[in-house]
Amino acid sequence: MLNSQEIISTIEMVKNEHLDVRAVTLGINLFDCVSHDLNVFKKNIRSKIVKNASNLVSICNAVGEKYGIAVVNKRISISPIALVGAPFSAPQMVEIAHTLNDIAREVNIDFLGGFSALVEKGIAAGDRALIEALPEALAQTQRLCASVNVATTRSGINMDAVLAMARAIKKAAELSKSDDGLACAKLCVFANIPQDMPFMAGAYLGVGEADAVINVGVSGPGVVKKAVERAIEQSPEIDLGKIAEIIKNTACKVTRVGELIGREVAENLNIKFGVVDLSLAPTPTVGDSIGEIFQTLGLTSIGVPGSTAALAMLNDAVKKGGAFASSHVGGLSGAFIPVSEDLNIAEAAANGYLSIEKLEAMTCVCSVGLDMVPVPGDISEETLAGIIADEMAIGMINNKTTATRIIPVPGKKAGDKVSFGGLLGEATIMNVPHATNKDCFVTRGGRIPAPIHSLKN
Amino acid sequence: MDKIIITVLGKDRPGIIASVSKSLYKMDCNLQNVNQMILQNQFAGFFVVEHPSHLTLDAILKQLEVELVGQSLKIHADILDTQVNSSKNGSNNANSNIKAVNKSSVKGNDKSEEEIFFITTIGPDQKGLVARFTEIIASYNVNVVNLTAIFKGGDEPTANIMSYQVAITPDTDQAGLFRSIRQKEAELGLDISIQHKNIFETINKI
Repeated sequence: MLNSQEIISTIEMVKNEHLDVRAVTLGINLFDCVSHDLNVFKKNIRSKIVKNASNLVSICNAVGEKYGIAVVNKRISISPIALVGAPFSAPQMVEIAHTLNDIAREVNIDFLGGFSALVEKGIAAGDRALIEALPEALAQTQRLCASVNVATTRSGINMDAVLAMARAIKKAAELSKSDDGLACAKLCVFANIPQDMPFMAGAYLGVGEADAVINVGVSGPGVVKKAVERAIEQSPEIDLGKIAEIIKNTACKVTRVGELIGREVAENLNIKFGVVDLSLAPTPTVGDSIGEIFQTLGLTSIGVPGSTAALAMLNDAVKKGGAFASSHVGGLSGAFIPVSEDLNIAEAAANGYLSIEKLEAMTCVCSVGLDMVPVPGDISEETLAGIIADEMAIGMINNKTTATRIIPVPGKKAGDKVSFGGLLGEATIMNVPHATNKDCFVTRGGRIPAPIHSLKN
Repeated sequence: MDKIIITVLGKDRPGIIASVSKSLYKMDCNLQNVNQMILQNQFAGFFVVEHPSHLTLDAILKQLEVELVGQSLKIHADILDTQVNSSKNGSNNANSNIKAVNKSSVKGNDKSEEEIFFITTIGPDQKGLVARFTEIIASYNVNVVNLTAIFKGGDEPTANIMSYQVAITPDTDQAGLFRSIRQKEAELGLDISIQHKNIFETINKI
C-alpha cells in the first residue's frame, strides 16, 4: 500500500521537479530500402518510416497521459544514410535529406537523426558524399540531425575526417548565417558513438540493431537537484558519499519511470523495447538545469575548481542508479553539459566562471562533450579541427563516448549573445584562445593510432 | 462453516488487538484475517473469524462484551457475507446520496480487466470536497477501491490531500471521467493529478 508521502513525492517529481521522458526515439532499420535508383530509395525509406512511425506521436501522448508524465519529444533514428545511401553523390544526399525532413514533418516529429557516417578508420564513397552534403543538407532542412563518428578506442582517430568535419561545420555555419549558424546545432562529431542513443542530435540506429526498436531518453536534473537540496536541508553536514548515494537512488527511480513508459509505448507499437538512456539533460528552464546541481552541491558556479570532481561524482552516481534500475541501460547514460541549452551553464560561461578549456576538462568525466558551444565566427578550420581532435582523444583514450557540437557564429565574436530558440537556448559566445591560428598539425592527415589498451583480443 | 466478522472501534491505545484476540482464542475461535486502521486517535479493527459450531454469533458477541468490559470499545459482530453486493444495496462511500458501484454491477467488470488510477487532489480544505468528487466518480459507474483524505488546514501540501484509487474498466468512459474531474481543478482551487497506479509503484516500490 502506498502512503500519502509516496504519492505526494511522486506528484512533486512530475509537477515541480521537471521529471519527464525527454525522448522516445523509434529506431528504424533502412537496410532493406537500399537501391541504386534514387527515386526508388526515397520511396522505400518513406514507406518504411511512415509504416512504423505513423502512430508514434499519438501512442506516446496516450501513454504519457496515462501516467501523468510528459513524453516531451518523439523522435526517429535511422540507419546511417552514408551506408544505406552509399551509391549516391553529394547532391543526391541533399535530396535524401529533404525527403527525410518531409517524412519527419509528415509523421509529426521534431527531429529525425541518422544522416550519419561512421568513418573512424576510413572514408568510403558514401561517407564522403554525405560529409560533402552536410552543410547544404542541414542548412536547408529543419528536422534533420546528423552525426559523424571519427574516432573509436579500437581504431584511433581519423584525422582526415576530423578536418573534413571542421570544414563541413564552418560551411554549414556560413550557409545558415541568417540563423546564427543554426545548422551546426544539428551536427555532432563523435568518438565511440553509441548505436542506441535516443538523444539528438547524435541519435542513429546502429548496424547491429533490429528492424525497429524503441529507445527512451529520460531526464531529471530538477529531480536530482531537489533530492540533494532536501538531504542538505535535513542534514547540513552531510558528506559527499551520502550525497552520491541519494543521487544514485534518485537516478534509479527516474530510470524505472523511463523503462515503464518505453516498454508500454513499444508494446503498443508492437516493436521491441531497446534501452533506457538516463542522461541528466537540461533545458533552458529554471529548475531543469545541471548547472544548478553544482550550486546545490556547494560550488559558486559550474566551472570553478571542484567542478570536474562534482561532475565525476554526479555522472557515476547516475550510471550506477540507472544500472540498478534496468538491465537495458544504454546510450550515453550520464550528465550532459550543453552550454546554450542550460540556462545556468550559459550564465556561468557569460560570467567568466566557465571557459572552453575547463569545459573540455569536464568532458573527461561526463557522458558527452563540448555540447552546444557557440564560438566566434572567424575561428579557423584548423583551430576547429584541433578542438574536435582534442575531444576525440579524450574519448579514445578513456574508452568513452565524447562528442562536439560546436557552432561558429558567423559575424559574431566572443562575448556577443546568440539565441538559437526553443530547447537549443541562448548563450554568450565563448572565447577560444588563438582561434584564428592555422596550425598545420591537423592538416597532416592520417590516422592517430588506437591506444595500447585497444589491443584486447 | 460460517465465518463471522467482528468490528472493534474505540480510542486507540496499546493492547486492543491483544485483548480481542485473547478472548477469541479462549472461545476456540480461529482468526483468519485481521486488519486495523487508525484515524487520528480512533482505532478500528476488523477480525474475520472461524468459530466452533456450538457457539452462536450472539454468544460470541456477548462473551466479547463481558471480556472487554470497561475498555470503552464498541463491538459489532455479523455473519461474513462473501457475496458481492449489487449496486442496489451496497454503498462504498460515506455519502449516502452517492450511487455505489460494485464490481458485479458493471458489465464486463472482470477484476483482471481493471486498471487502477490515482486521482489525487492537493489544495485547501473545503466543505463537501469528498462528496463532490465521489459523486462525479459514481456518475461514471466507477468504483472507488481506496480513499485517503487528510485535511489539516494550512498551506503544507501533505496536510490537505485526497487520494482516490479508482478502478477503470474497459467499459468506463475514462476520458469523460478525467475531463469532469479536471474541470473541478480551477473551480475548487485544487491541484489535481490523475495517474495510473503503476507510476507510483514503479517509483516507490523497488
